[in-house]
This record gives sequence, structure tokens and C-alpha cells, in this order.
Amino acid sequence: MRTYLMLRFVPSLAAAALLATACQDSRPLTSVARKPSFWAGPPPNCPAGKWTGGGRIDPPSNYDAVDEPSGGQPPRYSDGLPPMNGKVTFGFNVFLATDGDGRCVVEKGEIQVNHHPAKTSWHVSIHHGVDDFDNAPVFAAVFPDNSGRGFCVVVGLPESFMTARVNGNRGFEKVQFEACDNDRGERQNSRTDAMRWRAAGSASGDAGDTGLTYLTGGNIVEHGS
Amino acid sequence: MNGKNMHWAHRLAALGLLVGLTAGFAVVGAAQSVAGQAYSTYVNTPLGSSGQSPLAVLPAVSGTDGAEADAAGDALSVAGVLSSDFLNSITSGEIGTGETGAQSTASAASVNILNGLITADEVVANVMSSAAQDGASSNADGSTFTNLVVAGTPVTSGDGPVGPNTNISLPGVGYVVLNEQIPSGDGVATSGLTVNMIHVYLQSLVGGVVDPLTGRTVGGTLQTTGEVIVGSASSTVTR
Repeated sequence: MRTYLMLRFVPSLAAAALLATACQDSRPLTSVARKPSFWAGPPPNCPAGKWTGGGRIDPPSNYDAVDEPSGGQPPRYSDGLPPMNGKVTFGFNVFLATDGDGRCVVEKGEIQVNHHPAKTSWHVSIHHGVDDFDNAPVFAAVFPDNSGRGFCVVVGLPESFMTARVNGNRGFEKVQFEACDNDRGERQNSRTDAMRWRAAGSASGDAGDTGLTYLTGGNIVEHGS
Repeated sequence: MNGKNMHWAHRLAALGLLVGLTAGFAVVGAAQSVAGQAYSTYVNTPLGSSGQSPLAVLPAVSGTDGAEADAAGDALSVAGVLSSDFLNSITSGEIGTGETGAQSTASAASVNILNGLITADEVVANVMSSAAQDGASSNADGSTFTNLVVAGTPVTSGDGPVGPNTNISLPGVGYVVLNEQIPSGDGVATSGLTVNMIHVYLQSLVGGVVDPLTGRTVGGTLQTTGEVIVGSASSTVTR
């Protein structure tokens, strides 16, 4: 229930979780012992990181259990959020940078996620380093995944998560997005990329966690390196 | 040709090769592009019309940039032709040093076409195109129909795919193509795919004469007089 409550009411209480993730992000990625098999140039890092993609997941099918805890991410449902199952379509584009304190932030980005069974849509819009809907910075982390196949980005770290607009004008709520590029530098020809979405549900009534899930279709590309 | 001339000839050849390769790479680099668009519905019939809606078009992408565009609508109704709700269109694309890609998704729920002739709880069109050093390709993985019924016959039970370019006749109306796929590109440097999940072609017999004995029309040609599209997604890459 901890993160569920944090997402809904007290996001600042998640400082410890942020610290853990931030430490993960600050680890020199070049020192990672297990080099991803899909290797294209230098490993992605926060500054100058560019991530784009879209497609579809169908949780709980195609669960990426091995990679889910990568980067200190909590196992699905462990924080009290209920399962968010069924068709989820999405599209996103985020550009990363570091703020004055050296923390990884989203400089600009757009994220659209639709949960079809509940007919819920979320949209996140970030410009000049702040969320359009709450004027707060959006923190991010980049890390290699546990399977050694690629890298992941989490957008909306627990310090403040990020605020999404719900169904156009129904309201706003806290959310978190994660995407993994597991065929980095190669043509997308398998369903190895993965996505995860967590929503507080305070405005949508559609609280939930998809868990990290392989794409049914689509593609996720880290293209900043 | 003496040895000295051959030496210079080799140098010139090497220089020419270098210039050629450099120019070639420059051309390849400059030619990289991505495109995408998605829309949930399109209606063009004598009974009523509605443009591609909600329409998401990928903005121009250059360098190692990327972009996303989306559009949504609560509901759409063209009387007697189409009603639907929870309409969503998304497209995104990126140019990278290793991989270039575009992906688009369009969906529509509670679909009712021509007063119940075709119904579906939901339709999702999902395409992606990707190019890297080893070639270019596209697919429509993730494109499905939920509880699709055509002319009273269930086509899918629950959420499932239908084979590409499945053509079903609609007597007196025309025909429908399910999961209509229109590929493009050479599969080496370019690839693209458009998927129209439901594409209804309205047809009328034009010309011909009525046989006074049978009352049937004889002769004439079938002409398309309108169309309805639900769930259209396109993506294209050039490397």
C-alpha cells in the first residue's frame, strides 16, 4: 500500500526509494559486468538520453519478471497498487538531461497511455524540465536490465512521480512510466522490449500497475547515444 | 602503363573510392526519415461523411531526434453509418545511429457500422517499421478485433487477430476488408505498412438495364460509392 498511498497522497515520503534509484542511476554504467548482448555504441546514460516508442502490452500476459526489479523498481503489486490488466496502448518520447544538482530529469517529453478495458487515457507533457500539469521537475533513471539484454528508463521517480491529465479534462493524478529497449541498435524483430505503467487512480478511478510487460506489438528505441 | 603511373592511378582510384563512399554515406545519412500517422475513423458515404478522426500525424524528425503525437475523441457518430467511442490515435518515431523506427496505434470501441451490419467491442490497429544495418521491416503485431461480428456472423470471440486482407462480401452493400494491409518499401533501406482494420467499400451498380421479365438489372458495372474505415495506422522508415 505504501507507494499507492504515496502516489495518491504523500509522494514526498518516497525519498528513500528515490535515493536507492538515484544511486542505481549514478553507478558508472561502463562498470557493469554483464555487457548487453544487443550492444550498439556506448551505453545510454542520463544526459543526452533520448527514448521514443509505442505499441501495446496485454498484462498479465508476457510478464517480464526477470527485468522488473532492475534499477531498484518494486515488484508488481508489492506497493499496494492493484493489477492493471488487459489492453494497454501507448506512445512516448522523452529527452533526458541533468539538473543543477546533477540529478537526471526529463527535459522534454510526451507520454500517452490508454487502458482500454477501463476506457482510461493518461497524458503527460513535460517542457523545459517541468511537468505541464504540476510545474514540478520529473526525475528519471537509466539502468541496464537484469537479463543483460538492454537498458531501461523510468520516468517519474518516487520523489514526485509525475502528474498526468486523465481523459482530456477529467482530472489529474500521479503516474510512473518505464520502458526497456532490449534489442538496442538492432532492427525490431521480436517482442523483447517491455513497458510498465503505474497510476494512482485518484482522478481516473483506475489505479493499477501493469507490471513490466513485453510488448504485444510496437517498439521502444533508445536513440540518444 | 609504367610503375609510376600505376602508383598514381592506384592513389586516384583510392581517393575516388573514398570520395564515393563518403558521398554515399552522406546521402544515406541525409536520407534517413520516419513517418507515421493514425486515425480511428473515416467516413465518406452518400449518407454522411467524417474526416480522419482523431488524427495523429508524426511531426518532422531529424538528426537523432524523436517525436510523439496523439489525439483522442470521446465519441463519434455519423447517423446510419458509424458510431463509436473511446477513440485514440498515437504515433511516434525516432532516428538513431543504430536503429530508426516509427510506430502507430489507432483504436475505437463500441463500433457499430451501417446499423449493426458490422459490430465490434473494440478494434486496435498497431504497426511498426524499423530499419537498421541489417535491413528494414514492418509488422502489424498487436492488431486485433474484440468480439467482431460481420453480417450476423461472429468473426472473433474475445480479443483476437484476423488474417491480413480478409475479404467478406456484404450483399447489397459491397464488401469489407478486415486487417487490410498495404506494405511499401524494398525491405532493405525502406519499409512501411498501413493497416486498416475495418475497411468497408460501398458499391452500387451503375448502368445496365432492367430485364422486364425478371426485374433484374442486366449489365452495368459495380462502382465504389463510399467507404468507411475504422482503425487505421501507418508507419514508414527510410535509412
